[in-house]
Formats: sequence, structure tokens, C-alpha cells
Amino acid sequence: MKRLLILLCLVAGYGHGSPVLIKNAKLAQHGLDNEMLVDILVQGDRFEAVQKASSFADDVYQTLEVIDAEGRWVTPGFIDSATSIGLVDVPGLGVSSDNQVEDFPLGAGFSVSLALNPDSSLIAMAPTDGITRGVIVPAPGNSNYAGQSSVVEFSGHAEFVFYTDNAVHLYLRERDRKFAGGSRAAALYSAMLGLRESQRYSQNRRAFAANKLRPFKLSEADLKALAKVVSGQLVLAVHVDRAADIRAVLTALAEFEAIRPVLMGATEAWKLADDLAARGVPVVLNVLDNTPDNFDKLGARLDNAAILSAAAVRIAFMSSTPFSEFRSLTQAAGVAVANGLPFKRALQAITSSPAQIWGLDSLGSIEAGGIADLVIWDGDPLELMSTPVKTMINGNWVESRTRQSLLARRYLRLSKGQVPDGSTAGLEK
Amino acid sequence: MVKLLITLAFAACIFTAQAMDVYPSTYQPPEAPDLLIINASLYVGDGSEIEKGFVHVRQGQIVDVGAGSPVDIESTWVIDAQGKWVTPGIIDVHSHLGNYPSPSYRGSSDGNEATSPVTSEVWAEHSVWPQDPQFPLALAGGVTTLQVLPGSANLFGGRSVTVKNVWSRTVQGMKFPGAPYGLKMACGENPKRVYGRKGSAPSTRMGNFAGYRKAWIDALEYQQSWVRYQRDLTKFEDQRTASDDSSDEEGKDDKEEPSPPKRNLQMETLVGVLDGDILVHNHCYRADEMAQIIDLSKEFGYQVTAFHHAVEAYKITDLLAENNICSAMWADWWQFKLESFDGIQENIPLVHSAGACAIVHSDSAIGIQRLNQEAAKALAAGARLGLTISRAEAMTWITGNAAKALGIDHKTGTLHNGKMADLVIWSHDPFSVYARAEKVFIDGVLRLDIDKGLKPVTDFELGLRIQDTQS
Repeated sequence: MKRLLILLCLVAGYGHGSPVLIKNAKLAQHGLDNEMLVDILVQGDRFEAVQKASSFADDVYQTLEVIDAEGRWVTPGFIDSATSIGLVDVPGLGVSSDNQVEDFPLGAGFSVSLALNPDSSLIAMAPTDGITRGVIVPAPGNSNYAGQSSVVEFSGHAEFVFYTDNAVHLYLRERDRKFAGGSRAAALYSAMLGLRESQRYSQNRRAFAANKLRPFKLSEADLKALAKVVSGQLVLAVHVDRAADIRAVLTALAEFEAIRPVLMGATEAWKLADDLAARGVPVVLNVLDNTPDNFDKLGARLDNAAILSAAAVRIAFMSSTPFSEFRSLTQAAGVAVANGLPFKRALQAITSSPAQIWGLDSLGSIEAGGIADLVIWDGDPLELMSTPVKTMINGNWVESRTRQSLLARRYLRLSKGQVPDGSTAGLEK
Repeated sequence: MVKLLITLAFAACIFTAQAMDVYPSTYQPPEAPDLLIINASLYVGDGSEIEKGFVHVRQGQIVDVGAGSPVDIESTWVIDAQGKWVTPGIIDVHSHLGNYPSPSYRGSSDGNEATSPVTSEVWAEHSVWPQDPQFPLALAGGVTTLQVLPGSANLFGGRSVTVKNVWSRTVQGMKFPGAPYGLKMACGENPKRVYGRKGSAPSTRMGNFAGYRKAWIDALEYQQSWVRYQRDLTKFEDQRTASDDSSDEEGKDDKEEPSPPKRNLQMETLVGVLDGDILVHNHCYRADEMAQIIDLSKEFGYQVTAFHHAVEAYKITDLLAENNICSAMWADWWQFKLESFDGIQENIPLVHSAGACAIVHSDSAIGIQRLNQEAAKALAAGARLGLTISRAEAMTWITGNAAKALGIDHKTGTLHNGKMADLVIWSHDPFSVYARAEKVFIDGVLRLDIDKGLKPVTDFELGLRIQDTQS
């Protein structure tokens, strides 16, 4: 009864946007029975309540906007743990890439958030494949510390940055040795030096301001960012492939108690599965990247995710490829399942797990109080033949019209022998 | 008539090198067991399917395919494929396995002879490293045949080679017996970027076309030089015969025997195209450029077999169908460079629906492992647009149509009697993301079996790579 009253208050116009009820949803997420249908009440940008199907008071069904999922799969919006959408538009065009600092002394202090473009035509494509959020990562250009990522929503709204500067990215892969004179030993030394300097900096800010400290190697922006890493305020995302390097960096980082490392790519992480589990270090994988294309990746294998997950390591997935293959995130999850990862874990790796890793508490699951990102699917969400029927971000349905869908419709008529005339006629449904 | 005779004679003689079959295939499949696969769902590769049927293989060839249970067939090896799917071996028409191998370093990167815009004299097979660990990865995706192409830096990149995906010490041991050669050509950004940056031609798209036309004019001239030689030789031989007949010492013609023109490898490949022996595989993204290339082919009298990448094929499906040109495409790569900006996920189904030949290719060591999934993505995109295409039809994109573009469709690509027994048994419907190639046969020989842990291990991997426990 109390709940009904609350609901009626909501209907009466609390919050922004009118409430929506999605009924008969086959909820695919951890902790709920896949076979049980639920009704999901959305109010404003939040999930208000999730209950067994048809268990809300009758008034609710009569007064709200009701979408009947008709028993279809419903998932939380998927989260891509590393992408460059909104930061890089056409990778082959240098001028449209803002993910990398090359000839300017800025490393950890570089924040991609200042360059993000909500109007990129790529953004509208993501929700058409069920992806509602992404971690937009910097790439290294002049330093092993590439900068700070931000988390965005793929809504196209001007205010689309959800979490500014959520992690500092450190690159220690084979080709990143060049930033520290050519040896990975020097790269690790330089990375540690940065953390130690930032510690000295944060412990002596007044002296620093008065120029009373011996000079630092890093700029103040870099020191500030790394100080947040040392204090555990920011995640340290370490891009590393080789088992020996994973071991070396984790051993070195143990010097700082509060530090929270996350491994990125981590091709050979499976070799250290138990160690990673014991240390509580999560791993973000590029599942499909299984070729030994350099000597750091000799141990590349498709069941990396399955092995790590079986050892109780928290895993998440990235789509990160140079091309615009959004479907590669769900494809990665599906391929991981085909190679031994339980379905539930695969789903978590693109929903609740990245939310936990990246500090996105209110995202990644459909439960009361959470941010209302969800996708209604016409089939198993990991199947490539499945398609989102409707996608919601922040409590709003996302328009599925994209530049690509307009092109497709313009030329659809060709298959019926009609050459398009280049006008807008016929594009509107 | 005379002209035809001359042409025939000319064709016979100019390709002495080819007639000799240089760098010949030494691929000899080991003896294959008599094999009968029953109770399988079959995608035939020609657009049809058999819900529950059988495939009978004898001596490496498909000898019988049918619905229901086989009657009066006995076999030493019967596989009950209840609940599983059987397809022809998957074919990738665009690969760089072996010439851009893993590990990928300058020392192993042999795909682009980017030193001159016309390098039709180079042959991809001379770059292919048979121990590339990417070959077994592709086999795990059901790929039994692939075309390895030179890269796209040049207007004319060189000759391709079609190989069977078998472990071999030599490339010759992989070469698909009797497969025609291909010529890699490239449109658009790559050639003009590579050479424009060096301050040489081409630096524009019009420069690209001037380069193609000059090369074809040279090829015609080269072709003519051999025609002239053949004519002179015939005349010389006729005269000699005539004088022999007269057996008159006095009347002997003292004219010297004509000498053949010097062989020109670059021109031989182009003349091979003009003669229809070598198939043109043209890297081209934009619709307007493909239309120009079609006119180029008409100007010089050759056929474009397939446009590769063909990101905008959907804009000219009518032209492609009319001119009988296949399009080899990705399911969802776009916007990675300017000329791919208009790529759409519906490209493949739109080309198919217009009655043109559609192919899913990879151009990637990752993509080649899952061409079935790429086909699934494209099929789903088509369905979203309201295009009705069956899974069996979509299977042609990675089997029958691909075989056609490589000129090997009379040998492989479909489950038909007399074809090579290149087969995949899938754990699930191959359009499912959960499907794995459980068994892969090449010419009836089992090359991969995930239950038995059977798969090729390259020399490179020995002692270096720990194999997946799951497979």
C-alpha cells in the first residue's frame, strides 16, 4: 500500500520524465532467475522497483506508459570497458583523433574528458547494439602514463560525460618500452618514479608551492593525477600482456598500500589466475585478440576469460579495436562462452563487473535505485542474430535512427530497381 | 578466324612460363578414409539446406549428399552428427596469413612491395611463411581454403595465391591445385597516400587512374609484341617448310629465325588478365570509384572478378549485378578511414538482395577465425531492414560465392557430388555465436578435432605457445 502511494505520487509528476513500466521482461542478470518474468518500473533516470510480473497494483498498469516486453530478454545496458568513441572519429584521419598526446609534456595529467564530442556520428550507433556506456581511454603518445579515461553515456546528450577522470592509464606493453629509453625495466622504473614523486608531492604541497623541493621529473598536472592513484581515489589501469610483466608490475605496486590496479588486455593473465584472485586484481580482456602477434602475446588464447573466472578473478570485456565494430563486445562475450565461460559470467563482464571495476555504483544492474539503462532484446543478447528492440539510457528511450540507418534506407530502394534521387523523400517511415 | 587462330597460338606461347607451371603445387592430400556423416543439418553452400541428411565421402571426394537416412551406403567410419551442422569448408577470399604473419614485425611483414605503384611482377606466394601460427587459428574457425593477397599500397599489388589450409613445410605444399592466379589492384586512398607522400605519382585519385591506364596500355603493347613474334615465327616456319619441300639448295631462305621478345614479369601478369587466365581482385571502397573501375575494365577489355572491401557496394548493387562482379565485404568495419565513412551493416544483405554476388571476407587474422559470425551479423542487419534472406542463402557468402570468386567453384565451396570433401562439423548452428568447428576435413582428411585435441601446431609454436586446454 505504501508502495502504491509512492507510485501515485510519482505518477502525479515527481521527478523529470513520466514513469515507464516495462512488463513481462525476462531479466538476464546475475542474482535473478532467468526463467522468472519481471516488471520494471522506471521513474526519472532511475529504476524505481523491480517485481515479479503482474505484481504491481492494478492502477500502475492502468496509469503509466507500459511497454510489454512479451517475455523477451531484458538486460542492463552494456558497458564497454575500453573504447575511443567520442574521442576518435575516423582513426585513419589524424585530425579526428584526440586520444594521444605526442609532443607535449603531459602524461597522467592528460584528461580525455576535455576533448569528448557528444555529436560524433559513432555515438548513436552504440545503443543500437545494446551498449549504453563506455570507458573512453587515452593511448600513450610520449609517456607510459597515457592520461585519464572518462566514462560516458552513448545518448548523444551534450552532457554525456558520466564520470570524469575515473582512472589513470599506464601502458607497459612491448611497444611501450620506447617511452622509457627502450627497456621495459626502465618503463617500470619510470612508472614507479612517477608514483613516488606524486607521493612526495602530496605530502609536501606547501613546500612544492614555495619551490622548496628538489625538482620533479613530472609536471604538476601529472603529479596531481598520480597522487589520486597512490591514495586509491583513482583506479590505475595497467595495459600489459606478458605474464612476467604482470608479475613485475604487481610486485612493484605492492609498495603502495592503497593503490587499486586493474589489468587491461592482459593476454597472459591466465598464467597468474590464482595470484590475481588472491590479490583481488580485476582484469579487462579483449577476448577476440588471440593471435600471438608479438612476443608478449605468445600465450594468447580464447579461454583466458574462462580460466580467470574459474579462479574467481573479476573480469570485464572491452571492444577496443581500431575499427568501429560495436558488435564485437557482445561477440566477445559470446565467444568467451563458447570457450568455457559460464553465460552469467559473460553477461556480468559487460554489465555489473565493469560497473564495479570502474566505480559506477549505480550502473550495471536492473534494481531499485539504479540508473535506468536497459535493453530489450529480440533474442539471447549475446547472439549475433539478436537485435535490441528498444534501448533506454538514463530513463529515456534512445532513438534508433543513425547516419548509417539513413544511408541503408536511402539505398534500400535499389534492390527494387529504383535509383535514389538524393532527396529526403522516402526516408521517413 | 585468322585473328582467333593467332590469338590462340599467341596465348599458347606467351605463357610458356605458366604452361610450365612454375612453383607448382605439390599438395597431395594423404589417403582419406571412407566417411559417412549422418543425421546432420546441412547448409549446402549453394543457398539450399537439408534439415536432416547425410554426406558420404570416398577418396577425399563427396560422392553422395541427401536428405533422411542413407540407403545402401556402407562406410568404415560413420559419424552421427545428431544435433550438429555440416557446411562446406569456409573460404576466405581476402587474407594476409603468411605474408603478414604473427608475430608481426618488420622482419616478418612481407605483404606490400610499396616501392612502386605498379608491382604486378610480385607473387604473394613468394612471401607466404607456411609456419604462420595464424593458419591453425583460421582452421579452428572452419577455414579450409584462403586467398592470400599482396597488400593495397600499389595500383597493381601483384599476384595472389590460393592455398588449402594445411600444415606444410612449403607454400607449394599448400597451393590449391589448379586454382587460377588473382591480380590484386587497389583504388583510392592507399596508393595515393603511399606515393603522394613520397612526392611521386599517384598522389590523387585521377593519378591512380592515369597509372592504371598507362599500365594497361603497356600490357596491350606487350601482348601485341608477342602476337607479332608469333606471326613472324609462323611465316618463318612456313617459308622454311616450303623451301624444305622444294629441296632446292639454291632457293633456301637465309632469313634469320625471329627471336621472342624478352619476358616481362610485370606485363605477363597483366596480359594474363587480358586473356582471362588471371582474376582481378580489386580493393575499392567507394561506389563512385568502383563505377570508374568498371569503365576502366571495359576500356581495356577485361573482367573485374571481385571488388574487395566494397564498403559502398550497396550504392551500386545494380551495376555490380549487371556486370557480374562479386563484392567481398566486412560485416561491420567502417569509419576507420575517410573512404570507409559510409559503411553500413546492411551492405552485404543489400548486395545479396539485389541479385549480385555477395561474399564475407576478413582481411584480418582475427576476423578469419569467425567468418560464420560475420555472416550472422550481416544477416541480422538485413533482417532489421526487412530483407528476407535465409541462413542457407547467407552461407553462400562464405562458401559457394567465395569459391566462385576464386575460380574454384567446380572443385569446392558446396556439398555436391564430385567436390573436394572440404567439410566442417559445427557444434551448433554456425550462425550462433556459441558454435565451434568441432571437426574440419580437407579433401576428406581430418585436420582438426576439438574432442581429440587434434590440430596443427606450427614449428614456430613448438615449445613457445601453450595450447588451449579447452580445445
